[in-house]
Amino acid sequence: MVDEQNRTLPIANVGRIMKQILPPSAKLSLEAKQRMQECATEFISFVTSEASDKCHRENRKMMTGDDICRALSALGLDNYAGAIVRYLHKYREAERERVIASQNKATSSSRDEDIEESDQSGQPSLQADETPTPLMNIFI
Amino acid sequence: MRQAGTYSGIGSGKTGPHLLPLARIKKIMKRSGEEVKMISGESPIVFSKACELFIKELTQRSWMLTIKGKTRTLSKQDVASAVMATDLFDFLLNLVSDSD
Repeated sequence: MVDEQNRTLPIANVGRIMKQILPPSAKLSLEAKQRMQECATEFISFVTSEASDKCHRENRKMMTGDDICRALSALGLDNYAGAIVRYLHKYREAERERVIASQNKATSSSRDEDIEESDQSGQPSLQADETPTPLMNIFI
Repeated sequence: MRQAGTYSGIGSGKTGPHLLPLARIKKIMKRSGEEVKMISGESPIVFSKACELFIKELTQRSWMLTIKGKTRTLSKQDVASAVMATDLFDFLLNLVSDSD
């Protein structure tokens, strides 16, 4: 399956998440997974549009995690917004710790860079002489 | 494939595991509008979690309808019915009613 030429989320991942919430004896039709795949993809587009409109109105060029949280609230998805705000907070904390840890590692031993996997966040590896920022931003 | 579950890898020096591929999420975000130009590195990660929550909620609602119908197979129609029964998911109405 080509997942509609990469236009939707991969069906295997979607199916896995669905199974996490279903009882072990539940069966899941392929069409149900496809339908969910489309819905989740549309969810991303829908929330992104809302976040993007806001950025545009406020003359900001870069969409952030906070914009996505605000968009979730604006669209009535407050229950997600609360969980995501907490998640984002944890993520930022972890990133700060990671930056500090890799700085310490670089100064105390020879310069071995952390190799980032290509399908992760797309963030570049930190060089020891770069000024660390808590969030590495990427431009698309 | 990495173990699915809570974001337990958070302090281990990696930003994973994520249940959904970040590159694909980025692509979908970019395609959602002309104005979407720059996206922070954390945005796809936020969406990975948000989608997980969304999929779980819609799956749960669909399953409630499946068992009402006394079957054990969650069908495409159950997903459509759950969307129709949930005001918050109105943005999906066109999507689920089109291809039936």
